[in-house]
Amino acid sequence: MGHVKTAFLLSAALLVTGCATSAKGISQSAVMKSAMAEPLRQDVPPGTAMAVLRYPAHVEDDAKQAYYDAYSKRAIGGRLSKDSGDASEIQALADGMIMKSNYYALSVYKEMAAKMPEHSVLLSPHTVKLGADGKLTSVPMTQAESLPTVVTVDFSSYSFPDAKKMMGKAPLTFGDLVTPLVTVHSDHRASAPTKGLKLASAPLLPYAAGNGRRDVDTSLSALQSGTFETPSAPLDFVAFLNADSTASVASQSFGKMSANTVTSFPLEKIQLDKKDIAKLSAKDGGVTDPLKNAFSAGFANQVIGIINRTDINKATMVSRASAISQYDPSLAALTIVGSQDADYQARYRYAERLLEAEQKYLSVQSLRMFDGVHNGEIGAQTRDMLKAEYEHLEKRRELARQQNINTTMAVLGVLATGAMIANGGVGQDCSRSRTQREYYECQRRNQAANKVITDVAIAGIAYTGSKAFSLNKQSKMMGTNYMSSVAPILEQQQTVTVNLIDSNETITAIRFEDLRAKLQTLYSEKQRSLDTVATRCGYTHDGAVKSGTWLGVCENGLANGAGVGVLRNDDGSAVEYYGYAVNGQPQGAGYMITHTAAGSTALEGNFTAGRADGTMRETSAGQSARVVSYSAGAQTGRAPVGSPVATPFGNTPLSVPGAGN
Amino acid sequence: MRRLPILLTGLVLFCAPVMAQTAPGPGDVAVAAPSQQYCVTVMSGFPNDDHVARYQFFRLSQEMAVGATPQFRAALAQYGDAEVNEQTPILDVIEAIANPVLRQAAPEMVIGFMEHLIDFEDRCGAFLEGQINSLKAYDGDLVWEDPLITEDALFLRQVLSESLDRAGAADNPAHAFATQDYAANLIQTRDNMEFQVFTTEIDDLEAIYMTDLDGRLARSNDLINKEMDREGLDDALTLAKDMDKSFKEQEDKRRLYTLWRILGR
Repeated sequence: MGHVKTAFLLSAALLVTGCATSAKGISQSAVMKSAMAEPLRQDVPPGTAMAVLRYPAHVEDDAKQAYYDAYSKRAIGGRLSKDSGDASEIQALADGMIMKSNYYALSVYKEMAAKMPEHSVLLSPHTVKLGADGKLTSVPMTQAESLPTVVTVDFSSYSFPDAKKMMGKAPLTFGDLVTPLVTVHSDHRASAPTKGLKLASAPLLPYAAGNGRRDVDTSLSALQSGTFETPSAPLDFVAFLNADSTASVASQSFGKMSANTVTSFPLEKIQLDKKDIAKLSAKDGGVTDPLKNAFSAGFANQVIGIINRTDINKATMVSRASAISQYDPSLAALTIVGSQDADYQARYRYAERLLEAEQKYLSVQSLRMFDGVHNGEIGAQTRDMLKAEYEHLEKRRELARQQNINTTMAVLGVLATGAMIANGGVGQDCSRSRTQREYYECQRRNQAANKVITDVAIAGIAYTGSKAFSLNKQSKMMGTNYMSSVAPILEQQQTVTVNLIDSNETITAIRFEDLRAKLQTLYSEKQRSLDTVATRCGYTHDGAVKSGTWLGVCENGLANGAGVGVLRNDDGSAVEYYGYAVNGQPQGAGYMITHTAAGSTALEGNFTAGRADGTMRETSAGQSARVVSYSAGAQTGRAPVGSPVATPFGNTPLSVPGAGN
Repeated sequence: MRRLPILLTGLVLFCAPVMAQTAPGPGDVAVAAPSQQYCVTVMSGFPNDDHVARYQFFRLSQEMAVGATPQFRAALAQYGDAEVNEQTPILDVIEAIANPVLRQAAPEMVIGFMEHLIDFEDRCGAFLEGQINSLKAYDGDLVWEDPLITEDALFLRQVLSESLDRAGAADNPAHAFATQDYAANLIQTRDNMEFQVFTTEIDDLEAIYMTDLDGRLARSNDLINKEMDREGLDDALTLAKDMDKSFKEQEDKRRLYTLWRILGR
């Protein structure tokens, strides 16, 4: 009976404690081991940013409950069990995620800014709030996303919403562990088949693709209503939390290089260098960036690689037109394909210089936000906290090691006791007894001694098993206690960080408004008149559908000259066209993107009466751009090698034929 | 002692052409000697009582010849008609070009005067450059005159372009392209100059606003960072440790009780 109890206790200990893991991670992200760092080979016109880094910086009070609910419901890397901790613990983890995203985003910003030209990387912290439909959404806290930008990068650092699973394999950002979630988008005009999505952490990929599709939709609607301006898309992580509709895109695993395919970035739990963590709480702790050599530097190289393979003109043309339209609406649509006319060139230069002034201004704001958060008390406290978390984690790791030793000892104890019993136990050799009486006496003494030894051994095993069980409980409780005790600190940290970002934005906006008014006055005084101006009129595409909108040069109410055409068909498909038109139809060099339920494809080349006609560059999902021949809208086969492809972007400042994927 | 600058000026001006000729740089082509007499004669007609005025006129002559291609000069030769020679003072030539009455009544004369100036710059470019460099070396502030000089030269070039137009050069197939090209270049130059002014004004605005912005943001950052209570974290960590300790003690007690129960069965 005693053996059964022992076995039961031991099994329970093993089952509950198992072989405790000690919250390990990989020492370097895959981005650090991938292809060699490549220098930035692209250039951007003045007033254009290379990258905008977006991250969740704040959750509005009204949205907090919805955020916490979504955070626990939409866990990455596992499911929450019934004993997954109380609401306050989950909230602390959710708040911690915001705080750490705020901090680690700055490491990524610093690395990207170091590898790209001055003023070309901007920070765009987002506020998570409730949308008009009651669902979570996020909006930028600064104007950084109003500038033309080659790529937008979403960054957040994730923790599984259960502190009890901290020591397991669940993704975690705590102490020396970081789990980055990233996505990289360009404008869909530069990457039509993937709707602009370039790279995404695996769990976010379908939601980022869904966000890309909604972006396309919003942009087309804006163009149809005669404006280039579109609101910034919410963060992809928020789309994930919301369980927004997803979209499927051609994807590939990280490290592969297929064209027109989204790279799926693995979910990684990265373990930072202990030496770097140890330096964090020093006075000059801000100089130490533990994420740099584990992730940020490599990720910045990835972003540069993506920019190098992006057609910058296509990626920025509409956002540039949108930014210019604030100063000069009649010029905006003309900038899409540009012009060699002296009046246009003169006027465009002015507009570009205004955007450059805006860019410098917003860049100063980003640099100061970095300075305020990273180098200020806020950053110092975050580093203190990371150090404390690391020490906390190390204690739990020690407990896990003790737990494993105790579990092992219990197992060995059971085996040893079993062997002893099987071998008849310990005691005198009764076979040497001379009389029957002596033999029975000897046997009785041995049995009594064995009972005491066995009882002690069983108690020891049970105690060791129980200790392992207890260590496990202690470790879990430590996590809970820690999260509960630091919850108010996280709250305060977030409040002060948001005050700083808000204050930076308010100061910038007030001064910026003033500056913009002066720039506007200067522009109005100095600009030359335009011989040809852009307006809004009809675009008929193939002559049959009359519901399209044209922003550009018009004549007799129809597209006639350079501009942008857009239309939606009854079947839900849509067409975007950038280039030259006559009588409302594409005619001459143009770039056309067609969106259907099956996906999006792009054609660049010559058009006649709305139809592709001649040598065209065709871009579709999962394959490199192909040069093919078209006649009256129908493909007639591959074009002869070296056939020139007409492009409408020959007059733009950065037309790179063949660039992009 | 107070006369030293004047003497130096005189010395520099006197020596300048010589310096320009005697110190050729690597790869320089020798100055055209046959033009020397002509150049010295014309240059003696430049103002010589004030180094600023002298610089202005040298630079103006240089700027007025910009964009004068051989084809364009052929048009000037055909349509120009002015009584001007190397003895004519430069001031008279320029005043004649700028004279509105003359512009209206006798465009050929304006063309003739401009042709004279362009010809002078073409033949005496090296002398002019030498004088300009010497004057700049003497007074570094002279460069501040350049934008105004460029503006004046552009005005006079526009007068020339209009005069040619009035004289019918644009309708002459032999000269139409050169004169139209010259006129287009003038527009572009005017655009560039205006843009330069615009850029300078924006640069000034940026300098004022960005310095102001940076200062404000830095002060605001400092102020807000003071709101941060770093000691709160220590309290929170102590609380966490206390809670851990208390839990550990309870667990130890519970475990001892378990052991006691096993042994005491």
